[in-house]
Amino acid sequence: MIVAHDLTKTFSGKAAVDRVDFTVEPGRVTGFLGPNGAGKSTTMRMVLGLDRPTSGSVTVNGHRYVDSPAPLREVGALLEARAVHPGRRARDHLRVLAASNGIRVSRVDEVLELVGLTAVAGQRVGRFSLGMGQRLGIAAALLGDPPVVVLDEPVNGLDPEGIRWVRHLARDLAREGRTVFVSSHLMSEMALTADHLLVIGRGRVLADCPMSQFVADHAASYVRVRSPRRADVADVLRAAGLDVIRHGDELRVCGLDTAGVGDLVGRNGLPLHELTLVSPSLEDAFMTLTSSSVEYAAHRQAAGVTP
Amino acid sequence: MTDTVVLDPYRNVPRARRQLWAHALRAEWIKFRSVRSTTWSTIALFVLGAGLTTLVCATSAAWLASGRADESVASFLTWGMMFAQVGAIVLGTLAVTSEYGTGTIRATLAATPRRGAVLAAKAVVLAGTLFGVGTVTAVAGYLGGNAFLDAEGIGVPVTHEGVLRALVGSGLYLAGLGLLAAGVGLLVRHTAAALSIVLALVFVVGNMVMLLPGAWGEWTTKLMPGNAGSGVAQVEPFNPLLLDPWTGFAVFSAEVAAVLVAGWLAFTRRDA
Ligand SMILES: Nc1ncnc2c1ncn2[C@@H]1O[C@H](COP(=O)(O)OP(=O)(O)O)[C@@H](O)[C@H]1O
Ligand SMILES: [Mg+2]
Repeated sequence: MIVAHDLTKTFSGKAAVDRVDFTVEPGRVTGFLGPNGAGKSTTMRMVLGLDRPTSGSVTVNGHRYVDSPAPLREVGALLEARAVHPGRRARDHLRVLAASNGIRVSRVDEVLELVGLTAVAGQRVGRFSLGMGQRLGIAAALLGDPPVVVLDEPVNGLDPEGIRWVRHLARDLAREGRTVFVSSHLMSEMALTADHLLVIGRGRVLADCPMSQFVADHAASYVRVRSPRRADVADVLRAAGLDVIRHGDELRVCGLDTAGVGDLVGRNGLPLHELTLVSPSLEDAFMTLTSSSVEYAAHRQAAGVTP
Repeated sequence: MTDTVVLDPYRNVPRARRQLWAHALRAEWIKFRSVRSTTWSTIALFVLGAGLTTLVCATSAAWLASGRADESVASFLTWGMMFAQVGAIVLGTLAVTSEYGTGTIRATLAATPRRGAVLAAKAVVLAGTLFGVGTVTAVAGYLGGNAFLDAEGIGVPVTHEGVLRALVGSGLYLAGLGLLAAGVGLLVRHTAAALSIVLALVFVVGNMVMLLPGAWGEWTTKLMPGNAGSGVAQVEPFNPLLLDPWTGFAVFSAEVAAVLVAGWLAFTRRDA
């Protein structure tokens, strides 16, 4: 379990992470979603004690990570930027990390096998592709068989097969009861992997809810209705207890399918020009959510200028 | 959602459960040995140190034996260590800055978040290696060089005053130089910058301050780290104006310690 409380990080006066509160629970994949520069990597670095919070705190299993008695057996992490000496052999890199936590060396071969790098374990990491580097990072994260796994943009640079592999790995780890915290800037990726979503924009938490609820709240389908007698149609639908929103020259109706809406309007003898079921993509929902946070921030700053 | 099972973080990994400092030490040792740059720098240190001492003794033996020489024979016996200093500085710098340059520092600190433990382990591996390699290099240089002096009948026996001190002192001095470079590396986190600073401090500034006038120049010269520390590595001083070997080494050690403390403060407080 990872708990952040009022977590803040500023870089030269600018807040990269801004008074964030969240809890990452075990037994599920928590997707940490946000556009580039939202503060995901900074947050994860603070979880690992690499960056010191400007204020607030973040704990793993109830204590600061720095105070962990056996760090790699508690948290395994894949960091965003490559964190390996290019002149070191992959196996030696893992041997160093294993030794630093008193983990037996046979575990190194196990994780190499697990991520499919056994054949290239003796190669220097500088010759690795981005995808192989990611796999090595994941191997390092799994060395201590940790109950908490933190993966920063794990699918970056992976081919489709690798992406599927990471997705399954994350889900398997969560099914075993581990805390799995995975960041991404791609909603489509999170939609397939995460049980729970933590959306961040400009350093602030925009949503913290189960994936299914995010879909219901932000990507609920509706029926688009166009009619030359829009106002009358809206009255009829509202009278039937439906949610109707005017959006330009169209109406958006929630709570009934196209057949139901068409029947209702037809029974009242009103003309219809369009009747379409619209299911917004999650990507759109995510874009809308995060772009509004950008706007909001811009407004606040503008407001702050006038005394 | 799936049922949550409580995971024992130790279930698959038997043996030691607590992270010990000895683990960090072992990790740093594997790290040191597993890149080519350290191997090559160590070899270069040995070849320069032992080889140049032998070479300079071989080429100067006849002249020194002729009686026309105005230099003391003994001061030639660790002559090559002047150049071995470069190897020690490179190794010390790389021990720190290569981690920052490649990002390895984040993997290191994610695995061992207690930064003091990491730094202590690094310092012990670095100083231990340099002391060992430095002493062996000095001994090899002495044996090689003295063979040529012996042939001219002006050999200096190991029992001669200052010889043993200079051989062990070579190891001590190189270990100190490496730590100095590592400390500067912690402060600037950049290989070229750290190397330039330490090389300039030892080889350029140390000689330039001799040009300063009066007591001011005399004392800054005596106290510059390269000048203060190198005396212990010489059987007889090249420059008699410098501090006594052990006094100088004490001053040098204090300077190294000060830089290391500054580096430690930066290391434990700044973001990785
Ligand atoms: N070391 C740093 N120094 C200065 N600014 C930084 C640093 N690290 C991150 N930032 C800034 O903090 C913000 C968040 O960055 P980051 O956490 O990397 O976002 P994400 O991982 O979500 O893309 C960005 O505006 C970035 O420029
Ligand atoms: Mg990032």
